[in-house]
Amino acid sequence: MKPATSADQLFKKVLGQTALLTGLIASLGSVGGYFVEGINGVVSALIGSALAFLFGSLTVISMLIGRKLSLAGFFGVVMGGWLVKLIGFALLARALQGAEFVNGPVLFLTLVAAILGSLVIDSIAVLSARIPVVES
Amino acid sequence: MDITNIAELSGNIAVVGYGLAAIGPGIGVGLVVSKTIESIARQPELASRLQVTMWLGIAFTEALALIGLATPFIFA
Repeated sequence: MKPATSADQLFKKVLGQTALLTGLIASLGSVGGYFVEGINGVVSALIGSALAFLFGSLTVISMLIGRKLSLAGFFGVVMGGWLVKLIGFALLARALQGAEFVNGPVLFLTLVAAILGSLVIDSIAVLSARIPVVES
Repeated sequence: MDITNIAELSGNIAVVGYGLAAIGPGIGVGLVVSKTIESIARQPELASRLQVTMWLGIAFTEALALIGLATPFIFA
């Protein structure tokens, strides 16, 4: 696969690959979850991987948007996005905690697998990128 | 001797866990961003590369926060 030659290209590439990986983990997790607790396991695996993708990709999207702004705007968008994301995640986790259709361990494991997998993708993408010092 | 309560706490200890899960990554992201700002101030022409490196740092730090906030699903 061709290395990214600009930061925008890198972020778009990471978004696509993370979506693919999360889909893969969602399917594997659904199969595993089905054997653990039937349809509730499938729902939990899907929620876990969806949360990981949603909250992981928000940083990438904030970077893509922020890069078009001034330096202060960039940090405002990235940090503001991070803050809103964490608050949103805490509220969602609280709301899902008592839900009957959620199997905690299945949700947690798919979430962690998707997060760790996306970190691997991020690292490989950054290490293989060839971003020039001055972008055209 | 009578035993007297001078302080009493009520509520869920998981809330302290939420706080701990947020404070570490908060410090981590703060450090990553402050060092990036310093670096861009020194060498503005490297901003593009530094932003990408900063994003990787933020991704690793926030992974810790997300996992920390999701732990009630297995420990509750």
